[in-house]
Amino acid sequence: MGGRAQLRRATVDTGGPSQRAPAAEPDAGRQVPPTGPGTGRIVAGYLAPHPPHLIYAENPPQNEPRSTGGWDTLRWGYEELRRRLSAGGRPDVLIIHAPHWITMVGHHVNCVPHPRGLSVEPIFPHLFRYHYDFRTDVELAEAIVEEADAAGLVANAMRDERVRVDYATIGALHLVNPAWDIPVVSLSANNNPYYYSSASLDQMEVLGAATRRAIERSGRRAVLLASNTLSHLHWDVEPELPEDMAAEHPYNHHQYAWDMKLLDAIRSGPTSALRPLIEDHIEATYAETKSGSLTWMLAAMGWPQAPGDVLAYGTVIGTGNAVVEWLPDGEVGRG
Amino acid sequence: MADGVVAAALVPGLPHLLAGEPAPSWKGLAEAARTLGERLRSARVDTLLWMSTQWFTVLGHQFQVDPHPRGTRVDENWYGYDFGRADYDLRVDAELAQRWADETEAAGLQARRTRYDGFPIDTGTVVTAALLDPHRQASLAMVSCNLYAGAEAMERIGAAGARAAGILGRRVAVVAVSGLSSGLIQRWINPDEDAVDPGHDRWNRHVLDLLAAGRLDEVMRLREQYAAEAQVDSQLRALAFLAGTGALSGPAEVLEYGPVWGTGAAVIGWTD
Repeated sequence: MGGRAQLRRATVDTGGPSQRAPAAEPDAGRQVPPTGPGTGRIVAGYLAPHPPHLIYAENPPQNEPRSTGGWDTLRWGYEELRRRLSAGGRPDVLIIHAPHWITMVGHHVNCVPHPRGLSVEPIFPHLFRYHYDFRTDVELAEAIVEEADAAGLVANAMRDERVRVDYATIGALHLVNPAWDIPVVSLSANNNPYYYSSASLDQMEVLGAATRRAIERSGRRAVLLASNTLSHLHWDVEPELPEDMAAEHPYNHHQYAWDMKLLDAIRSGPTSALRPLIEDHIEATYAETKSGSLTWMLAAMGWPQAPGDVLAYGTVIGTGNAVVEWLPDGEVGRG
Repeated sequence: MADGVVAAALVPGLPHLLAGEPAPSWKGLAEAARTLGERLRSARVDTLLWMSTQWFTVLGHQFQVDPHPRGTRVDENWYGYDFGRADYDLRVDAELAQRWADETEAAGLQARRTRYDGFPIDTGTVVTAALLDPHRQASLAMVSCNLYAGAEAMERIGAAGARAAGILGRRVAVVAVSGLSSGLIQRWINPDEDAVDPGHDRWNRHVLDLLAAGRLDEVMRLREQYAAEAQVDSQLRALAFLAGTGALSGPAEVLEYGPVWGTGAAVIGWTD
């Protein structure tokens, strides 16, 4: 401790070589539109929930706890997501907004080139002790900070590699791309569960548009991930065997019914109908979408006309979770 | 005071109190916390029963049973400041924590014991432990703050801690790490810009006056209204936790009150 407290601003280093990790080669034989400065685009967006139970159930080598499985239907939904991701030609970058990198002041973007370490989740340490190691698309991350700052948001480039990466970021990214061979941009959620304050969804619209502009100018083919659970009431005790599926069901019918109401609207389209419904759903179910990830993603995609494709729905300790795909208007489906 | 519990403290947990060039209020709060720490040590306590609202959980009540958590805490929001980074090397009274968990279960609540390498100790604990007891003369027995536990459950957690200390013959003080009003300023500020929203400030001062007058029951009666109107940190359930130990029987001494990045923060002691 000690030293001078520096007044911080969302400054971005513009000199020096790009720290962007090399993008993976697209699948051979796939028709992938050319990319380059000014031609970037969003190729898909996914609602990608992150309960640590899903990682625990998968038993990947990076996670220390071992399980006997569980929550299979949601994991099958992620299997289908991965198939579609591969079928569409690998994206240059996965951009994720997650509710458990909680920032009290502003919207932060991880600009650490090579985040790695052990993430022990303080709420679920018995399920999630994950050794993470991935690459950040620093150039795009910085561009998002610049665009958000220019749009009037409080935005910050996080460059301290000692900041632990949270389980919502790691969990969704692992389930979408367990090989971790696609560069990442990770955004924080500006809210605070132990106070009452939270960022308004209006800010998430602005952040989404800023993200889109940064992608467009970067030339990247980006997939967006909104790492949110739906209805969020859950048990406050746990069975002896965490993956005991006999104990797994919706918290109550009210929560389930509201999740279905939202999912029906998602399946019907257009997404513009979700704008008021997301807020109603939050009010009715304490939905984790309050953190703004879903609104951010749909705003970045320009609130597409096409309906979402629900790949899976299931509960985790009573919360509602759905894996959903949206394609931007004009994009060909891979279902 | 209850048997075994000889003092109580409520202290803020935002890291600004450790700033190299603090705002006047941050400096005053830090000095008050150090003063309160000296009093706790003068009371010759073995262990601090400890609850930080920044160690928030959702499943049961977690108890830290690692006897020696150590590492570096880099706060995910304040990492860019000198006060956003701190090394910690804590001494945990694991025997008391285990007994506290046992007593919690006996009270009908779910207790979970936490002992994992790399477990991230929360910023509030790291900061406040450094101020209250910089030389680690007392050990800590730590419980999490369940986001969904009501005030009544928090009282029972406090009571379970007091019972556990009595059973083991520990001389303890109880510490809650919590702010008052939130209203965090949503931009980067210079320290001298710090201030509490006037409406929140009136609420905070009213509650502090009541505590100083020994009117705990009145504060508990107003707690939910205060929490809603001043966006109080964890709905001031920290006070219920402290009260559950039986250590708040007399008037409080408000050693300091002031803003921390727009939030209301106070250092309060019950040390008679």
